[in-house]
Amino acid sequence: MRKIIELKNISKAFDGETVLDHISLDIYDNEFITLLGPSGCGKTTTLRIIAGFEQPDEGDVLFLGEDIASLPPHKRNVNTVFQRYALFPHLNVFENIAFPLREKHVPHEEINGKVEEMLKLVALTGFEKRSVTSLSGGQQQRVAIARALVGHPKVLLLDEPLAALDLKLRKDMQQELKGIQKATGITFVFVTHDQEEALSMSDTVVVMSEGKIQQIGTPIDIYNEPQNAFVADFIGESNILNGVMIEDQKVRFSGHVFDCVDGGFGKNEAVDVVVRPEDVDIVPEEKGHLRGVVSSVTFLGVHYEIIVDINNFKWMIQTTDFVDVDEHIGLYIEPDAIHIMKKSKYSGMFGDYSSFSNEFDELSDAEAVEDESL
Amino acid sequence: MKKNNTLLQRLVIAPYSFWALLFIVVPLFFVAYYAFTDSGFHFTTENITRFFTARSSITGDDGTVREVYTYLLIFWRSLKLALISTVICLLLGYPIAYILSRASDRTQKILITLIMIPMWMNFLIRTYAWMTILQDTGILNGLLKSVGLRPLHIIGTETAVVIGMVYDYFPYMILPIYSVMAKMDIKLLEAARDLGCNSFGVLRRVIFPLSLPGVISGITMVLIPSISTFYISQKLGNGKFYLIGDAIEGQYVANNLHFAAAIAFILMIVLLVCMAFMQRYANSKAVA
Amino acid sequence: MKPAAKIYTAVILLFLFAPIVILLVFSFNASKSLSVMSGSSLYWYRELFRDAETLGAVRNTLLLAISAALISTVMGTAAAVGIHRLRSKYLRAAMDTVTNIPMINPDIITGISLMLMFVFVGRLFGAATSLNFATILIAHITFCLPYVILQVLPKLQQMDTSLPEAAMDLGCTPMRAFLKVEIPEIMPGIVTGLIMAFTLSLDDFVISYFTSGNGFETLPIRIYNMTKKTVTPKMYALSTIIFFVILALLIMSNLIDTAAPVVEKPTRERKIRTAAQKRRIRLAGAIGAVLAVSFIVVMIAGAPKKPVLNVYNWGEYISDGSEDSFNAIKGFETWYEENYGSPVEINYSTFASNEDMYAKLSSGAVSYDVVIPSDYMIARMADEGMLLPLNFDNIPNYQYIGENFRGLYYDPEDLYSVPYTYSFVGVIWDANRVDEADTGDWDLMWNSKYAGDILQFNNSRDAFATAQYKLGLDVNSADREDWNLALQELKLQQPLVKSYVMDEIYNMMESGEAAIAAYYAGDYFTMLDAEADDVDLRFYMPEQTNYFIDAMCIPSCCQNKELAEAFINYMLEEEPAIANAEYICYGCPNSLVYESEEYAEDMGEEAMEILYPDLEHFSELYNSFAYRNLSPDMLGYVNSLWEELKIN
Repeated sequence: MRKIIELKNISKAFDGETVLDHISLDIYDNEFITLLGPSGCGKTTTLRIIAGFEQPDEGDVLFLGEDIASLPPHKRNVNTVFQRYALFPHLNVFENIAFPLREKHVPHEEINGKVEEMLKLVALTGFEKRSVTSLSGGQQQRVAIARALVGHPKVLLLDEPLAALDLKLRKDMQQELKGIQKATGITFVFVTHDQEEALSMSDTVVVMSEGKIQQIGTPIDIYNEPQNAFVADFIGESNILNGVMIEDQKVRFSGHVFDCVDGGFGKNEAVDVVVRPEDVDIVPEEKGHLRGVVSSVTFLGVHYEIIVDINNFKWMIQTTDFVDVDEHIGLYIEPDAIHIMKKSKYSGMFGDYSSFSNEFDELSDAEAVEDESL
Repeated sequence: MKKNNTLLQRLVIAPYSFWALLFIVVPLFFVAYYAFTDSGFHFTTENITRFFTARSSITGDDGTVREVYTYLLIFWRSLKLALISTVICLLLGYPIAYILSRASDRTQKILITLIMIPMWMNFLIRTYAWMTILQDTGILNGLLKSVGLRPLHIIGTETAVVIGMVYDYFPYMILPIYSVMAKMDIKLLEAARDLGCNSFGVLRRVIFPLSLPGVISGITMVLIPSISTFYISQKLGNGKFYLIGDAIEGQYVANNLHFAAAIAFILMIVLLVCMAFMQRYANSKAVA
Repeated sequence: MKPAAKIYTAVILLFLFAPIVILLVFSFNASKSLSVMSGSSLYWYRELFRDAETLGAVRNTLLLAISAALISTVMGTAAAVGIHRLRSKYLRAAMDTVTNIPMINPDIITGISLMLMFVFVGRLFGAATSLNFATILIAHITFCLPYVILQVLPKLQQMDTSLPEAAMDLGCTPMRAFLKVEIPEIMPGIVTGLIMAFTLSLDDFVISYFTSGNGFETLPIRIYNMTKKTVTPKMYALSTIIFFVILALLIMSNLIDTAAPVVEKPTRERKIRTAAQKRRIRLAGAIGAVLAVSFIVVMIAGAPKKPVLNVYNWGEYISDGSEDSFNAIKGFETWYEENYGSPVEINYSTFASNEDMYAKLSSGAVSYDVVIPSDYMIARMADEGMLLPLNFDNIPNYQYIGENFRGLYYDPEDLYSVPYTYSFVGVIWDANRVDEADTGDWDLMWNSKYAGDILQFNNSRDAFATAQYKLGLDVNSADREDWNLALQELKLQQPLVKSYVMDEIYNMMESGEAAIAAYYAGDYFTMLDAEADDVDLRFYMPEQTNYFIDAMCIPSCCQNKELAEAFINYMLEEEPAIANAEYICYGCPNSLVYESEEYAEDMGEEAMEILYPDLEHFSELYNSFAYRNLSPDMLGYVNSLWEELKIN
């Protein structure tokens, strides 16, 4: 696979505040790559640097091997789908899509054909003369995509394009976007803070936090082998505990020594241990590796989400078995359910569910702030 | 969008910056310069002192004679008439702005147009027409007589001057308030009702605070021109109201530019201070 | 709307439109009055279209408003875009403050500040004229700019910032992105700004008053300067036409707007939309084209191609072709071309008072070739070296000036001036309300029987003079005590005075609003023509009263003295002189006029008796009763006494 875009050691600060801190990233041909992270992690800035709306303070942006750091947006073979679509309200659907073609002085006959083709791709045939303001959110989204694709860019940048849609529509559009990407073979660089969206659509996920790339990998890698507590917590639910690696395949946490599949750490090295909630089995108290008291139970349809108090550490466990609050239960953990990570600056910040609801609030607050700042 | 546009941005803002400096800022210094110099352009504070110390004697309604500070009295009278006119404009204009903002789109458009139309007629001519209406043998008294009512004496009174000011600057009060109200979300009013406000409560606790920016700019746009008018007072006041605008114009015509500039300078300072306070009040309200 | 809201709206609209209705109605008045309706006719509309000077003022006003609106819209829009993109908080605050200044400064201050600067800078560079079309245009642009910016800026702030980014992303350069995407987005703001700027400029009087100069007279200034004579229904006719033009434009634009469906329906929308769109584009194009073309036409028509003679005269003080009179301005242009073989153009402007004219001329801000001030002002100007001696070889018609009008005090050696008109102040009274026994002298104006029915001059010199004549004081006294006595007398009169008036006197006397007034002799006849049915106006001259002469002079700023002298000479020719004398209705010192039988017939017996009472002794009477120039010190003192009277 060919590298289309290379970001090398990019840094960027706004008013003295570092937004990107020496990030490097390769983007390949025909890839669906997602930049995932909470608000303020620098994902949108990265996208804007690729599009040319921002200049990096440091580092190089290569496009097919050539430095494009100083190339203005209109000269880059890269198009963007904006968060709120940015459709031109004074132009109708047809003219919005034809906009880049007219800018390039494409002959009239050709424009008709190309626009029709795009409308077909996004299933909006017959909407040519409609005013864009009269369209629904989903339809506007499709027009924005068609407009960005009509010039056949090498790369399509999508800045949280689904954020404004409702849940059902979002799911449909996820599939559709994936389909369009497959059909056109264009590289999609997708920005989102929704980890589920990232996992379900992407070939490659780039997890970012505080201006740094935390991990790059396939969705499965990212989920199963998070590299630090931040990634583990941000992608799915995780119980993250302090542990000590006694030797390869032997780890101690919560006062118990477990068998595991990881190795390569120093003897008695302090580590972070990740156990996914769905990987814990509930067994009678005496049969478990660990014992605890159920402090809350929430019914979520597919399964129950229960919080278990073990030595003052709150575990989250997802189970289809029903247990009662205050019941004493045992937990059983298979060796391959235990994932060992090196200690990082994020250690100890995540993975305890004692303040579950609070943390949730914080997350949604952060999103609200992000929305305002954009 | 940022770095690569700064050149364009500078080019775009340069003519205005230049213009504003040359024709807005510098002329104000000329007012100050003339205010503080005599006819030979030597520094003097005499013009300013004269404004605050010149005295004359006036005869009261009861025939008693008293000494007054000429220009302070003129200033106070101008301020009083301007304030009365502004308050009346606000009281009359606020309901109409509210009615407008709640009417159908089509009605709004028609009414706004109707309110704007008189502004296109020359204001000297409109003021002249008011003379025809208000004078003792005028149209209004003709109507009153024909329905058997006692005629009113209006022309040459404060009432007439206030009517003229209210009339000429009325649209300037309605339009800013209306434009703020038209943007107001009707759901807010419903929410206030839902939370137990009666109609007056909604007005006092929701509509009025939200419309405050419009009210402030309306007040500014009426108060400023009415405090300095000199034509309305001449025509509708029967020449009996000598306002600060008349004083400035009088000194200009008497070829006393330096004293005219001094009056203008003092008026300007007073207004700037007032506006700064009003702006601060509006801002503190907005934050609260 | 609720019924209460409907009623309230109706009342407000009634208030707003009452004066408009009045001027619509009175524009069809058959007589000259603005307060007494005497039959309807289209007379004033005909008059309006014959009045080249008023039409010229309309042209100037439009030229100014269109230029100011266009320039301020372009500059203001650019400024708004620039301000919107400013990242520095302090720069932004500074720009906002500066932009706010013209809005929170009264226009009188904006006008004065600009005038002071223009005059100062003009003097610095020794320019002959520092006030001209450019200065008034600059002033108008300056006060329009903030309104444009305040209309455009919010539109920019509301605009999704990703719109221009999207355009650049799709291949536009920053400039094209601005033109193709931002401009259409902020267009409503730009259009509103343009309309506001146009409206403000059109209606402005105060700022124009201070910053206009040399022959560039806008409509509001022309109307203001009609204060010695009267505002005629001609102006109402003009307003009526403006009203209907605006109404038509508004209705047209409304019709087009409603033709376009507000909500697009999915079916059939293609046809409707394209048709409506096309219509809208066509209309916008048509309006734009009309504006542009009229602008260019006006520009070309306004550009002087011939030598220009700048004449500065009182408002309504020349026979200008209105009311079927002879047009002395056009007449000169024709006469000059016939006699001298080259075309010439008169640029005619007006002033409201001697002091007004003096303020403009002495500021060095303007330059005129011929001015027509009154006697005491001529003396002052001659003293201050503001007048050029005339070359009477170029003014052979001076021979027709009567002996009695030569060698008068203001120009004892007849060096600087050629008398144009003379008149005197008399008392006009309504015989239906005033007892004839009370008439005859100045006491009538202090007669408490007629309290509330008396009108007094609204200019200091004339008002003080009535008191001085009554008390037998010297109107030219250098003794402050004399003036103090006169002030006391005026204060005594004050409770009896209905109104201090200049041109308002016409309305008030014609309609019976007041019964007694002192005014200039000839103007009495104008009132007589328009008096209401229950009014019977009469006139008498008190024994002691003011005689005045207005005379043609050439100021030292004159650019073409021979042309100016040719003009003065022409004004003494029989035809224009008679036309002027009949039009102005004052006495004429030209023997070709006062010895003409045709003129005497036109004026009628009463007028001849009043205007030409005792020409034998004219110079004697004149020299003893005319105003003399007062020292600057005394002028300032009189002005402060006048202010003292006015604040009572």
